[in-house]
This record gives sequence, structure tokens and C-alpha cells, in this order.
Amino acid sequence: MSGATKNKERGHVPLLTLVVTALSVLVPAYLLAGEKERGHVPGPGGSPAVRAAFPRQEQFEIAKIQDLKDDLGRPFPLPERTPERIVSMAPNVTEILFALGLGDRVAGVTRFCDYPPEARSIRKIGGLVDPNIEIIQSLDPGLVIAFRGNPLRVVDRIRKLGLPVFVLDIGQGLEALFPLIAKIGRVTRSEERADALAAGLRQRLEAVGTAMSAAKTRPKVFVLLYGQGMWTCGGESYVDDLIGRAGGTNVASSMPKKWVLYKREQILKDDPDVIFILARSGEDFATGRDWLLRKAHVESVAAVRSGRIYELDENAASRFGPRLVDVLDRMARLLHPELFGDAP
Amino acid sequence: MSRKTGRRLFWVVCLALCLAGFLLSVLTGPVKTTPGDLLRFIQSHDRVQAAIFIDLRLSRAVLAFLVGAALALSGAILQGYFRNPMADPFVVGVSSGASLGAVIAVSLGFEAAAFGFSGPGLLAFISGLGIVSLVYVLSLRRGGFKIETILLTGIAAGALASALTSFFLFMRSDSYDQAVFWLLGSFQLAEWRQAATIAPWFVLCFVAAIWLARDMDLLALGDETAQALGCPVRRVRKAFLAMSALLAALSVAVSGIIGFVGLVVPHWVRILIGPGHRALFASSALAGGTFLLYCDLLARNLLPAELPIGVITAAVGAPFFLYLLHKKR
Repeated sequence: MSGATKNKERGHVPLLTLVVTALSVLVPAYLLAGEKERGHVPGPGGSPAVRAAFPRQEQFEIAKIQDLKDDLGRPFPLPERTPERIVSMAPNVTEILFALGLGDRVAGVTRFCDYPPEARSIRKIGGLVDPNIEIIQSLDPGLVIAFRGNPLRVVDRIRKLGLPVFVLDIGQGLEALFPLIAKIGRVTRSEERADALAAGLRQRLEAVGTAMSAAKTRPKVFVLLYGQGMWTCGGESYVDDLIGRAGGTNVASSMPKKWVLYKREQILKDDPDVIFILARSGEDFATGRDWLLRKAHVESVAAVRSGRIYELDENAASRFGPRLVDVLDRMARLLHPELFGDAP
Repeated sequence: MSRKTGRRLFWVVCLALCLAGFLLSVLTGPVKTTPGDLLRFIQSHDRVQAAIFIDLRLSRAVLAFLVGAALALSGAILQGYFRNPMADPFVVGVSSGASLGAVIAVSLGFEAAAFGFSGPGLLAFISGLGIVSLVYVLSLRRGGFKIETILLTGIAAGALASALTSFFLFMRSDSYDQAVFWLLGSFQLAEWRQAATIAPWFVLCFVAAIWLARDMDLLALGDETAQALGCPVRRVRKAFLAMSALLAALSVAVSGIIGFVGLVVPHWVRILIGPGHRALFASSALAGGTFLLYCDLLARNLLPAELPIGVITAAVGAPFFLYLLHKKR
């Protein structure tokens, strides 16, 4: 190739690439200018394409849009009464729905929804990050409740089918449980039951708080996630809040994370008085305790010497639902047996 | 069997497979449906079935076909462009560039949708095209246009982008679940809007590729010879590179990275119908679309949970490719 043509070609290149890039971004934008994605109010009845194709479909009764927004800030049309078929996309949502007495309305759950046991026999829609949209659609739900663990892209795809999706976020501490229950109660039109559930939980929470006000010590607590090395909960985890409310101090509290992989030296230095093992079963707990006692080389730690190593139900503690109060209760009794008048 | 009847047979078989693939795609899925259901649905409208058959399954099949066709056409163009059978849409860095864009978007939590793409899709598209442009500009600086230079520059830029991708994944391990979608590809969230976004571009590139196919035949003789035979070599090359990059970047933007289609499908087609580029481009697009349609069928139905489609394309494509290659020799 000659020098002249080379120069010529060089001059054209950035222009060509610029034009190609600009065109390929702008033209689809122009083509789709009619589509209004934002502020789309979800309502039952298929995507716009399907609605246009099937205009005869029945109109769902939707009360006037009241001031209800999901945790993504999207307005949500409040149903007039409890939807007949509800799909829950997270185990804690399933748990709360059952606690509100709506178990018979739950039409679909994730494969992780195993509490209460009745939930196991409900149609599975897949997992948290890989729910099957087709199965959800086939259940023809009047309400889909999504949680933060569900990828937003999946949630949006479900919304685009015209299904009413209500998205819930997780808060920081245990206190966030109350708005969560209230919102699920509202969107399922079970406000009274939600209030009753919340009041009951609040009462138990306050009972623990009252008992703890008499506590003279604050034992140092280390929580071990049974299974893969020394994982524990950091300061941003709600388990940290549970430990605080149960009258203890989380040794990993200063870690600005939800879950932290702890080092052996660190646990020796922190010297926790009590160790809780989050275990799926009594067997897992026994294995975990044996590991701590024999193989982990942490013999100098106070909890290991005194044997104050206790089991916590991983299933209950890992779901942001009503059973967290059970976990709190157990923690408080184990940390401060003197205040409850019973042996650990 | 003459080449002409062979070619005709190829088209008939491919078209039949393609139609059967669409029918199977609409009929199968995690929700059990029978052909009777489909017939009943066509006669009387049902909202839920409309959503399943049309909104979910048909849109997905159409998108899989379009992406497969786009990737195979892009591969066919680049194999001619580089006169190298190892070339595929991703050799010039589109795939690594696009996955870098997608992973950055995922790890920054950039999810807003725009221009018919999701946030990561849009960033994938821009960075995919961006890296090709960069590779092209860089390889021109170094003393004129040489095929080896652009090929090697593309590989180096791709490696750099891959390293950055791994870095972002490492820094934000909690976004890994979502990143997998981009790194292995999936049509799980296919929708009509995506198909509508890429269809006009695919058609445009397809028509242009067929239009310029004779020039690509000349390029196979070498640039000087082609020039002497009246082919405007530089312009043709630029057009082909732009087309193939655009096709590959669009595909990645809607479905993540799906390897192997662009590399292998043009080879199959060349083995079966010969090297003439006009027929090669058209047949590659049809065969690529059909191939990906069937791969997506497997991805959806093989296991209870969905497989990433990139796993299927390589697992199915490689053995079949080896068979064809060695049977011929």
C-alpha cells in the first residue's frame, strides 16, 4: 500500500468508527422512542403486545391507585382484596405470608422455601437468582412478591409480562422486620393480621429488652457459620444487631461487612466468651463444635475452655423473618441464663 | 452428488430443521404444553397461554435465531476478512471488550435500561465496539494495514480486557451470579423488544454482506489481485469489519457472550456447500440461527434449572465439528 493511500485511510478511520458507533446507539433509540419504560404501572393482563392482541380479556378489579410504593419506589396498585394466588420469590417472604395465615393463597415458592413445612409441597418456581419466569406466569398470580436477592433484571422481565410485582428490600437491623411485615400485610390486604403479628413480635422483643436492662455483663460473642472456614457476621449483618439485643458484643462488629472470613489469630486475640454455631442440623453442630475443640487450635479461647459453644438454627437465623425473634430469645437466654432463671 | 443439488439439499434440510426448531421451542418448556394446547390457544385466546407461548417462548426462539444468525454471519465475514479459518467474531476483541463493559456495569450496579438494552447490555455494546475501533486504529498506525497486525492487536487487547474483567469480578464477588449471565450467555430474559432492537441491524448487515459477497471472493485472492480486478479493497474491508463488529456487539448486548457459533458454523457450511461467499453468508446465517435455536432448546430443557447457553454451544458444536472435519479428509 502506498504512503498516500495509507494517510488517507488513517484520516477516515476515527470518523468511520465514530459514525458507526453513534448510529448504532442512536437509531435503536429512535426506533424505541415510543416505548415508555419508566413509571409503567404494573397490572395483571399480559404485556402491551398481548393486551393489544387480546382485547377481550377480563378487567381486573383494581382499587384506585393509593399511595403504595414498593421498595424500589415504584407505585403499586393496591388490590381490593387478598389476591387468590400469590407467588413468593424468597423464603422469608413465604414465611411471613404463612405467619399472616395466607398459606393457602401461596401458589408458588422458591426451592429454598422449606419453612413452615407446608411450604415444601407448593409448586417450585426455581431459585432466588434463577426463578423460572414461565412457571410464574403459568400460575397466573394476582401478586408476585420479590425480595432483594432476586436479580432486578429478572424482576423487570416478570413485570413486563404484566404481572404485579412488589419488590421488598432488607433493612439494616431487626427493626426493619416491622416495616417488612407491614408492607406484606398491606399488599395482601391483611393489614389487621399483620398488625397483630407485629404487635406479638414487638412484645417479645421488648420482653428481651427489659430483661437485658438488668444485665451486668456483656459477653463477647463469636458466631461461626458452619461449613466453610471461619466465616462470621460483620457489623452490617442483622445478626450483629441480634447479638447486641441479646446482651452480647459481636467480636467482629467493627468489620464493615455482612459476612467476614475470620483469621485464627484474630479469634485468639478477641477471646470470645461464647461461640454460637449456625448449623443446619444437630450433626453439623456436633461436627463444628468438635472442630473448634480439637482441630481449630483455638484452645486458649474462653468459650472453648468453658465449653460455652451453642447451636443456633441456621435456617431460622438466615431468613429475615419472624423466627429471628425466636433466635434472639434463645441467644439472650444462653448469654444471660442468670436473668431468665434457667440453665443454658 | 453435484455441488448444486448438495446446496439445494442443505437449504431444504436447514429450513425444515429451523421450522421444526421454532415449533419445538414454542411447545416445550418447564410448563407442560401439548400441541393440542397450542391449537386450542390459536382458536380461543387465553391470557396466560398467550404470555407463555408468545411473550416468553416465541420471543425467546426468535431472539435465539437472530443472535445465532448474527454471530455466524459475523464469523463468516471475519474468516474471509482475515483469510484465516481461526477467526471468529471475538478474535478482534469484541467479546472480551463487551464482557468487560457488562461486568463493570453489573459491579457498579448500573441496571437502568436504555435504548432497548439493559444497562450492562448497553455498556457491553459500547465497549465491544469501542475495543474493535481501538484495535483497528492501533493496527493502522503501525506502518500500513496488515492482517497479522490487526489479528495480534485484537488478541492483545482482548487479553487486557479479560484481565480487567477478572479484576472487577474479584473485587465484587457478590455480583458474580449476575456476571455469569454475561460471561456464558443466556436467553432466559428474552423479550420482543430485544429482538426488535437487533433485527433491523441484522437485516441491514445481511443485505450488505450479500451485496459485497463478490468482493469478498476477490479478497480471497489477495489484496493486490483484488485491487487489480477492480475491487475497492480498502472500502470493502472497512465495511466488512464494521458489519462483523456491529453484529457481534449487538449479539453480546442482548444475550451475553455465546462462543463457538461464529467459529464453527461457517466452517460446517463451507464444508457442506463450498467457499463461494454469497451462498456462504446466507447459509451461515440460516444454519447459525437454527443451531442456536436448538442449543437454547437444550439449555432450557436438559436440566430442571437452566444451563448457560455457552456451555451447550461448545459441548454440542465441538464434537460435530470434529466429525465433519475428519470425515471430509
